[in-house]
Amino acid sequence: MGWLLLVYRIPREPTKGRVYAWRKLKQLGALALQDAVWVLPATDRCRENFQWLASEIVELGGESLLFDTELLMGTTDDALRERFEEPVLAAYEEILTALEHREPDLAALSKKYQQTLIHDYFRCSLGERVRKKLLAASGGAQ
Amino acid sequence: MNWVTWESVGVDRMGCAWLIRRYIDAEAQFIFVPHASAPLPEDAEPFDIPGVRLSHHAGHCSFHAFLQQYDLEDPVLTRIARMIDEADTVQEVQLEPVAPGLDFLCEGIRLTSPDDETALNRGMMIYDALYARLSAERGFSDECERKP
Repeated sequence: MGWLLLVYRIPREPTKGRVYAWRKLKQLGALALQDAVWVLPATDRCRENFQWLASEIVELGGESLLFDTELLMGTTDDALRERFEEPVLAAYEEILTALEHREPDLAALSKKYQQTLIHDYFRCSLGERVRKKLLAASGGAQ
Repeated sequence: MNWVTWESVGVDRMGCAWLIRRYIDAEAQFIFVPHASAPLPEDAEPFDIPGVRLSHHAGHCSFHAFLQQYDLEDPVLTRIARMIDEADTVQEVQLEPVAPGLDFLCEGIRLTSPDDETALNRGMMIYDALYARLSAERGFSDECERKP
């Protein structure tokens, strides 16, 4: 299993640039390690997104380094994977809980499902369950 | 004129190639280079490669950069740029439900094409269709506005 590592530095002022980069990383669902390195699984899509972000950071007056790597020691691929899955599972659980309510807002919940799916890089099985529940709740075929 | 970009084209580069052929250079020749490693040929205009003029800037896709650099002020093109923004880059605000589908189809075209040149040629049809559909929508809304 491969991992992409992004290390960057961006001028403290104006703060706009820093905030921009940080928000982008959050939107990508990247994981911060040791407050220094940002990690994403090495898929083509992630590689492309990280490359664009790295060049944008340079445009904002910063520096960035991007690595395509394999994990050697310190943790395991599975443990790292679990850290990506944690927020994804939590979001799926929230949808399942909301679906238990008497009149769930199905439009909002399916939107939330779609957004969660973007960060579900490892396609965990809970996602499939949420999908089925949403379909069932809408009265559609399972 | 020669235009160069990275190989394995997707939604943004197919859109850019369509825009180049339809609005900028009908005789455009495209050259494809492997990611990052290869040096860019000097006699070709690079696009959708990190760091060049016609590329992602301030969170917008390369198609968007083309519209700005070549002063293309067509509301339908602006709308397509927004769709590619949402399809190809991470956007907090998502207003175009078509965007993820457009991305999927372009990826599929790449997968079923023997090479990038063919993929760009096939992509022309998608973007012609998109342009026609969005223009029709505009015609409709103009009509609505005219009604008292």
